[in-house]
This record gives sequence, structure tokens and C-alpha cells, in this order.
Amino acid sequence: MRVAGLLFAAAYAAFIVSVYSRQPRTVQQLAGGVAASVGAYHVDPVNFQEGLRFFRNDQFPEARAALERADPARQDAPTQFYIAYSYYRQGWGRVYRDDALYQQGLEVVDRAIARAPGGRLVVPDPTLQMHTADELRAELQRGLTRELSDLNPMKVFEERK
Amino acid sequence: MTRPLPPAREAFLLPALFLTVAGAGGLRIAPAGGALSFVPPPLITLVLAVLLLGVMARAGLLIPNGLLGDHRTGLENASGTVVLLSLFAASAQLFTCLTPDAGVLRLVFNLFFLFLLWNTLAAQPDRTRLLRSLLVVFGWAYVVRYVALAALADPQAGWTRRLLTVLLEGATAGPIEGEATAPLAGYVAFATVALYMIGLVLLPRFAAPTTAVAVVAAREAADIVE
Repeated sequence: MRVAGLLFAAAYAAFIVSVYSRQPRTVQQLAGGVAASVGAYHVDPVNFQEGLRFFRNDQFPEARAALERADPARQDAPTQFYIAYSYYRQGWGRVYRDDALYQQGLEVVDRAIARAPGGRLVVPDPTLQMHTADELRAELQRGLTRELSDLNPMKVFEERK
Repeated sequence: MTRPLPPAREAFLLPALFLTVAGAGGLRIAPAGGALSFVPPPLITLVLAVLLLGVMARAGLLIPNGLLGDHRTGLENASGTVVLLSLFAASAQLFTCLTPDAGVLRLVFNLFFLFLLWNTLAAQPDRTRLLRSLLVVFGWAYVVRYVALAALADPQAGWTRRLLTVLLEGATAGPIEGEATAPLAGYVAFATVALYMIGLVLLPRFAAPTTAVAVVAAREAADIVE
């Protein structure tokens, strides 16, 4: 009885500490975190596919809405990766980068890395030019950094990844 | 001499109650949008929790000997330690729950708790009186934080807001800013305070003196018969 009680208290305390460290913003995120901790969390495949379709058609706000529906608890690393990628692509411009979108993308890709096992996330999607969260993160950070090379006129020939 | 706790109460019920209070105490719900956030205990609440546990021990509401000691086995001591730690965490988070998040009012609340606990420590109340006193203190803080301040911050509160404004007129140098809270936050805080008080009632207590008298009387009777 006492051993079971100790195990129960340890598990409950660990759950509370994890909630405080993850800081879920909604009840869905809270419930999703619990489900993910016991390996019972899955993204909704219909919404995920719809999100991918929007993403490939460059309909980024629509893609994010569908992907958020697919992963309401923000626990699935690949889904978060696509959301971050959508911020990158939407914020990318031939002569400018949208800092606000890049900043949001950076926050989401950090979340994706945090959710990935060992912090390593690879998405083998042939339609993307960047397949790892690390590449995407570096690209977003580069976009937010102000440096002299930003004035290089040859940059207008860079391609969106 | 403490009355032994049933093992299920000590191993499951008390840790569950106090850990629930510790978890729910830091929950904040935004009035607009209902976004959740979880506030860890500020340092002052740790000090207040230590003081509160001291007051409880002084008044016999918390009997460390009933949870820890050489007379108990290792597992029993581990179980008692969990109860004590969870009680400490719950106490700290209860203060977090009942204290405004920022501003002068936060300072006022913390000072109020500090002086009240100090005063109670000096008064040395017994278990029942301390329980009543804590109920009044936490109840008062709850009403001010979740009813009065919430009403002051709510432009829709109507009569409650007007009444509070009139009552406070002249009592302060300037207008008191309320603190907006989501209605659900008040219910959660109410349940948190209630669970904490239930947990305190369920803590081990000294055996009733009548039992000790009966034991002594029985021993004396046995001696006389011999």
C-alpha cells in the first residue's frame, strides 16, 4: 500500500512539474500533454493532409489553421515543423524578410525541436529544400539577423527554400 | 501520543489532496480568451509556507512525530515525508493562489499574511482554533481577491462595483485598481482552498486525552487486582 502510494505521489508530482515547465495555454494542450506523456497522442490525419495540401499550394494561413487543428496540443514535432516552415515561406521575400513571421516561425521550430526525440527532427519530404529542424532554425535566424551582406544586390537572386 | 493515520489516507489521500492544491494554486486563467498559465511559487510564498507550517506545528495541527520518527518503519517515514513535502508545496501555492499577481496589493496581501501568521504564532492557539483562524484568513483573502478586486476591475459588475467604490472612497489616497479574473478562476480557487482545508482536517492528531485516562485507569485497576 505505502509503496503504491509513494509511486503514485512521485508520478503525480512529476506530472505537475511537467505541466508547470511546459506551460500549456489551453485545456486541449494540457490534455494533449498528458496523452503524449503516456504515448497515446496522435495527430488528426485528415486535418494534417489538408494542411499539407494548403502548404504546397502556398496557402500558408490556411495551412496553419488546418495543421493547428491536426495537432491542437502542439505535441507532434513534424506538424510543428510544417507550421514553422509555413511561417518561413510566407515571410520570405526576394528583397525583404518579414521579421514578425520569421520570429513566430522561430518560436514554433524551437517547439518542434523540443518535442522531437533527442532534439533531432528530420522530415523526408521531397517537396522541401530543408529537411531538418536545425536547417530551418538556422535559416529563420539568418533572416532575423541584420548584417552588411543584406545590402548585397545579388541576394535578390536567392531562391526560396 | 498521536492517533495513527489509516495507511491509505497517509499514502494516497493526503498527498493527492495537497499535490492537487499545489498544482491548482498556481493556475491563472486569462479573463479574455481563457488562456491558461501556471505560476510557480514566488519566494515570499515559500517563506510564508515555512511560517505556516511552524504555526501548525506549534498549535498541534501538524504533528511531525505522527509522520516521521524512529518508531516508524522506513516506508512509513518515506510516506510521512511525502505528506510533509506536499503540504509545504500546497501551502506555498495556496498563498500564490490567494495573492494578487502584481502591484501594491500584492505587497499588502503578503504583509497581511506575514503579520497574521506571526501573531498567530505568538498567540499559540490550539488545533481547533487554528483551523478556524486559517479558514477565516483564507476565506477573507479569497473574498477580497476573487470577489471584491474582480468586481472592481469588471466594468459590468454594476452595483457591486459602485458599492465597493463608495466604501473605499476616502480610505485610500487614490482609486484602487481591481484585478480582472476569469469567472472560472474563482471556482478553481474556491475548490483549492476547500481541498487544502480538508487536507488539514485529515492530518494526524493527538489521541484524545480520555483514551489515555482510560488506559491509566485500567492499569491501576489491574495493579489493584494483583
